[in-house]
Amino acid sequence: MEPIIQIHEVHKHFGRDIHALRGVSLDVQKGEVVVVIGPSGSGKSTLLRCINRLEEYDQGSIVVDGIPLDTAANINAVRAEVGMVFQSFNLFAHLSVLSNVMLAQRVVRHRDPAEARRVAMDLLAKVGIPEKAEAYPAQLSGGQQQRVAIARALAMNPKIMLFDEPTSALDPEMIKEVLDVMLALAHEGMTMLVVSHEMGFARAAAHRAIFMDGGLIVEESTPEKLFSSPSHERTKLFLSKVLM
Amino acid sequence: MKPKVPAPPAAAERELMKIPGAEPSSRIDSWWGLVLGIIALTILLVVLSPDPYRRIVLFVRDGIAITLTLTVSSFFLVLFVGLFGGLGRISKNKALRGITTLYVELVRGIPLLVQLLYWYYAFPSIVHSLGAALNLPVLQNYRANAVAMAVLGMTFCYGAYMTEIYRAGIQSIPKGQLEAARSLGMSYVQAMRHVVLPQAIRVILPPVGNEFISLLKDSSLASVVAVTELTRRGREFMSATYMPIETWTMVGLLYLIMTLFSSRIVAWSERRMQFER
Repeated sequence: MEPIIQIHEVHKHFGRDIHALRGVSLDVQKGEVVVVIGPSGSGKSTLLRCINRLEEYDQGSIVVDGIPLDTAANINAVRAEVGMVFQSFNLFAHLSVLSNVMLAQRVVRHRDPAEARRVAMDLLAKVGIPEKAEAYPAQLSGGQQQRVAIARALAMNPKIMLFDEPTSALDPEMIKEVLDVMLALAHEGMTMLVVSHEMGFARAAAHRAIFMDGGLIVEESTPEKLFSSPSHERTKLFLSKVLM
Repeated sequence: MKPKVPAPPAAAERELMKIPGAEPSSRIDSWWGLVLGIIALTILLVVLSPDPYRRIVLFVRDGIAITLTLTVSSFFLVLFVGLFGGLGRISKNKALRGITTLYVELVRGIPLLVQLLYWYYAFPSIVHSLGAALNLPVLQNYRANAVAMAVLGMTFCYGAYMTEIYRAGIQSIPKGQLEAARSLGMSYVQAMRHVVLPQAIRVILPPVGNEFISLLKDSSLASVVAVTELTRRGREFMSATYMPIETWTMVGLLYLIMTLFSSRIVAWSERRMQFER
């Protein structure tokens, strides 16, 4: 079966000096959970952001669900199928939790208010905070905000979910509540590409783990193998710093 | 990076209490007293000393109407010019960004009075020459309407200031808000309309309100280009009666009533916006 994400030899420059991606190729199968690790500046976030074209890449090709991104007539249609969860949550600060989850359903999917509301409430129940529907983002903890952000992305019924360091901005006691939601999602068969150093999540849910450094994929294998017996020096060095 | 999130209302309210002049809740703050005081003083003058104060008020009455027309219609247009200018200033399109930046830089560097003189005297001349060159009688017979030219001139000038206010307001909204909206499949226009602008409006409301008040005061410059607004009527009254103290006291009071009243409305709507979270 054709991979749902096909990344081929993608290059990305920032300005003249920074070569963030130096020819990255990666295929992700439908239903696969892939975890990407690597030092900061290794290009892992950039790679993720190229998949829904929040960043434009300079060379190579990315095909998402059969649609090549560089010729996509309607990038918004592609984006609606690719949910994204950000490190800094990015909930719409002026809208209630419920409106956050409803807005894109109404504007992009053109669902009627009753249906959008039903979908939103179901998803808020799923991420465990239906009682916060009328609250505003500023009134929620970081963990709650991130769970709302996941619900907001899921409300579009995406085929793929991208997670860009979803727990890095969270206090330790809130990390688990977010990872539990992600774990449940993985078990339901969602295609997920996750930039995260949460080894526990990777071991429990990921089919594949990838180590990136210097804008390249250095090594990839099962999470178990990558974390316990990495074959590259750079991977070993990085893991020795992270796993202390 | 931690996102910048506003403090919950309860805490924000408590913070506001500490800042003088920003006490929340009551619709009628103590500065309304000043507005009422100025109005009372004006009425007192008119009642106790109808000659000349009542005469002045009656004489400049139509001038007040023109001042308000001038201000309100310019302000309405300025809001639109500022929105599109502001969006142009942050556009990825280099030409659009260049044009709007040039507009702002040029207009901000020329005094409003000179701009008004240009619109009233030079612009019609240009139209006439153009009409002669193209042999178009429509353009040759063009007569400039003083009020329309003043509205145009003030809109053109204040549009540049407003452009910068909108730009700053939009840029003050964290980039992640736009990215989150775009990642959900919203178009740029949808993301602006539903996510960025509603938040930017809260930020720009105070400076926009101040622009309204500046515009109201600067509308007095239109007196130089044949618009019979409040200041012009005041001058006419003074020339006819030679009562400078009384005339300009009354004109000053009338401007004060309008500006102080406006600034109270701005302060009130600012507070309302903060509570609608």
